[in-house]
Amino acid sequence: MKISRRRFLKLFGGSVTAAAIFQACGIPERELIVQSPLEMPEDMVSGTDNWYATLSPGEAVSSGIVVRVMEGRAKKIEGNSDYPINQGKHNVVAESGLQGLYHPDRISSPRIRRGNRGEDKWDEISWTDALSRVSESMTNLKKSSGVVLVTEPLSSNLNLVVNKFVSKFNVKHVQYELIEKTNLRWAVKKVFKQDRIPDFDIENSDYVISFGADFLNTWNSPLRYSRGYSNFREQSTGSGRGTLIYVGSHLSLTAANADKWIYVIPGSEGILAYAISYVLLDKYESDVKVSDEKTWLKVLSQYAPSKVKELTGLSESEIEELAKGLVKHKRPLVLGGGSVGAYTNGMQNLEAIYMLNVLLGNVGQKGGVIFNPTPPILKGFPDHLSDYANFAHMRELGSSAKSGEVEILLLRGVNPVYGVPGFKTCLSEIPLIVSFSGIMDDSAMMADIILPENHYLEDWGSDIPNPGPGYPTIGFQQPVVRPFFEKRGIHLGTKSFPDVIMALAEIQNIDLGLNASNYENVLRNFVDELFKLKRGSIKANNSRDFWNGVLQRGGWWDVDDRVVNYELGSIPVPTKLASARFSGNVDTYPFYLVPFELGSLTDGRGAHLPWLQATPDPITTVTWATWIEINLNKAKELGIKEGDVIKVKSEYGEIEAFAYPHPGVSPDVLAIPIGQGHESGDRYSSARGANVLSILSPATDEESGAWAWASTRVSISLTGNNSPLSKFENIAPDLSVDEGGHIIKITSGE
Amino acid sequence: MLPGEFDRSKLTRGLMLKLGMLGIAGGIASLFVLVMLAFVLSAWFGRPLEIFSVFGFNEGPTQPIAFPHDVHVNKIGLDCTFCHRTVTEKPAASVPSVGLCMTCHKALGGDKEGVQQLRQYYSAGQPIDWIRVHRVPDHVRFVHEAHIRFFSGEKNVVNRITNSSTQITIENALKIDPNVREGETISVAASQVCSTCHGDVASMPKVKQIRPLKMADCVNCHRDNNAPTDCTTCHY
Repeated sequence: MKISRRRFLKLFGGSVTAAAIFQACGIPERELIVQSPLEMPEDMVSGTDNWYATLSPGEAVSSGIVVRVMEGRAKKIEGNSDYPINQGKHNVVAESGLQGLYHPDRISSPRIRRGNRGEDKWDEISWTDALSRVSESMTNLKKSSGVVLVTEPLSSNLNLVVNKFVSKFNVKHVQYELIEKTNLRWAVKKVFKQDRIPDFDIENSDYVISFGADFLNTWNSPLRYSRGYSNFREQSTGSGRGTLIYVGSHLSLTAANADKWIYVIPGSEGILAYAISYVLLDKYESDVKVSDEKTWLKVLSQYAPSKVKELTGLSESEIEELAKGLVKHKRPLVLGGGSVGAYTNGMQNLEAIYMLNVLLGNVGQKGGVIFNPTPPILKGFPDHLSDYANFAHMRELGSSAKSGEVEILLLRGVNPVYGVPGFKTCLSEIPLIVSFSGIMDDSAMMADIILPENHYLEDWGSDIPNPGPGYPTIGFQQPVVRPFFEKRGIHLGTKSFPDVIMALAEIQNIDLGLNASNYENVLRNFVDELFKLKRGSIKANNSRDFWNGVLQRGGWWDVDDRVVNYELGSIPVPTKLASARFSGNVDTYPFYLVPFELGSLTDGRGAHLPWLQATPDPITTVTWATWIEINLNKAKELGIKEGDVIKVKSEYGEIEAFAYPHPGVSPDVLAIPIGQGHESGDRYSSARGANVLSILSPATDEESGAWAWASTRVSISLTGNNSPLSKFENIAPDLSVDEGGHIIKITSGE
Repeated sequence: MLPGEFDRSKLTRGLMLKLGMLGIAGGIASLFVLVMLAFVLSAWFGRPLEIFSVFGFNEGPTQPIAFPHDVHVNKIGLDCTFCHRTVTEKPAASVPSVGLCMTCHKALGGDKEGVQQLRQYYSAGQPIDWIRVHRVPDHVRFVHEAHIRFFSGEKNVVNRITNSSTQITIENALKIDPNVREGETISVAASQVCSTCHGDVASMPKVKQIRPLKMADCVNCHRDNNAPTDCTTCHY
């Protein structure tokens, strides 16, 4: 039968609609699940959620979070809108706490090594057994000072407990952080005479120059700065949209957000800062504050823009432009950090950079540098020592370990086997290594006894953020769920680290003087003291209500207690800046190696969490890998395509990683992210990527002894291998076309 | 032949045949459209009409274990609240844990396929992921407890309800106790309320949704029973 076009289309449309309807009717079966848990006391099922406030420990600063808990299981993490640092914002690191809590490779009981170190063969032992072994070893020491405890920088009550422990047990305490803040702290102490890192009032500033500080992603307190940044751009206070300039050798997220990214020769950022200072003093004396102008000008004249052109790679007009920007805006602010503070002259660079704030007179002003007051009740636990140099202490530890002076090494919250190149070789002379890690990281792999600690969502704690928000803040951490391995009984499972310390003291019949039986009670004592102050954010009639209030809000702070005295006294006249020294000569090793942190993996501690591994780097969108950012033209010149496996060699070692040619990197720089290349025991971080730290020069800062991790030169060679990079961008072209623009059909190839 | 060009005098047999076929085809198409409309509209406003259950609509979803309510309730006599325990206290009625099922089935049930599957789940330490049958959207907060509380307890049996929180109609009362008479008081247990919205689950080998559970359904019942019909009753 003949059928007309109209008729055909009607029928066609009708049958397609019908097909769609038939397909779509009904909810897809897997969309909604109601689960029968294996065992559940009936009174726990409610279909309602509870939210608990606690802290998410960050690399630098903890953020306040609230955790949604249903039937005893943590379901979702959100930012705590009350907590002063992040005020409701949170990041991917905070979110991933859930994966850490329910990680399949969590260590569920104390372990003792079987076989050789690093073989990852363990026997489970009970807590009684494990603690008595450690206690016995501590009693049988040959040298009285042979025990070393390495922790991350501690604050508040944990610092108190550890301090008591180390003093009563005669233990040496080393505070270690991989990306150390040593130079920042020393520069702050020298320039601002402050023990605590100041708060930077980005939200009220209108012109920010950041020298290498990737404050939107990884530097210092990124949540707080990102929060401020949004207001900085909106400037609802009336002076118009703020301008951000970024000076540095890597196109970080902050650089990508900046109005201008200025690349200077690595190591010369301090020189640039002095050049800008010179222009300020020379051309804009009325706008700058300094008492001894003549001496300053004389000293800084060697850094006049005309003299530093070759050193920095910037023209005179560009330098003058920067200085002009600083004085033409009402509230300029200058920040420095990251790789700029990680050369051999890093501390001096930061000194020069932060000095600009003093010259501009923004210290203590809106939109400037705001000092943080000392939080109350710090007696007994000094924290975040302003003159501490972490890496120098680790080096010292390494050498004393090599010479057999360390008998017991206790590691908690740190991963030096990963982060300190060569540290692994120092371990062979240490008879006993104890790790408190809850996951089998690189350092735990080398331990003899593991005393796994609770995950932070299962633990009590308190933290004094440094930098604070400009007023005293003490964050409180509480368990939001029962310890996951509680089901293994009291002799197995995980325990809270400070509780273990206190248990060790009890075994040895030593009174730590804490007046508490466990860490929770230490915190209660502390909160009782806070209550007596009768000030701050929590109002209550008795200490019990006060305690509840503190836990409900997630902390205690006092917005009325601010620094009022901004008298800086005499400002030290700048001395000659040493030039940065790099390992390897420029002919054999033509590239500057710039390692950088990712917002997800940070210093490598996030590598065992798949959500963090799968979080794309904001600039390159690469996931689950280590890549080498190489200049596009340079790559073409060397015949390197994306995905090529490249060997990067320094004087100290070599690694292999994938090439990622891109235009936002200088031809003489290679930028490689930190965080992968673990020799660990968990399924997500082990045997993945490369550890760029392992090829870095061990050179240190001339002034502070901090590790100069940006002072390595490298060379590259091709291996001939190639593999597609796991990234999000450009992986799905809409349609593949040939040169004539014709659409190419993709077939199976057979 | 052009459309519209119909010349009576030229009406041949072939033409009549073609016209007839066109008419039949048109009729089938219209019928088809009507049926589709009936299906789509009935599904959108409520449930697909019963006549479509021939095609498999209206049946409940296939569950990981084919749990038969009819065996457990009608045959054995288990009460609804024996398993769905939090219905009188909490918003959600809750499904029982696997452990609860095993209190009987670790010994009972023989070699039935479903029981074997259950035992496998328990020994493997696996929770059972049931496919949800009854669901309201996320912006609706339904609290079981309030509804059970309202309909259960001591009720007077009446012909016509004047106070729905203390009275029950004779028809509904007869379902509970066939010997009850008007004017008497009857005690309604929590589990006797369930079928109001969930239907006769006791006889269902496979649970399916029998009421549309759209907003009109809820609001009508609220109105009939003098319950609050304010927006914030359910949307908050």
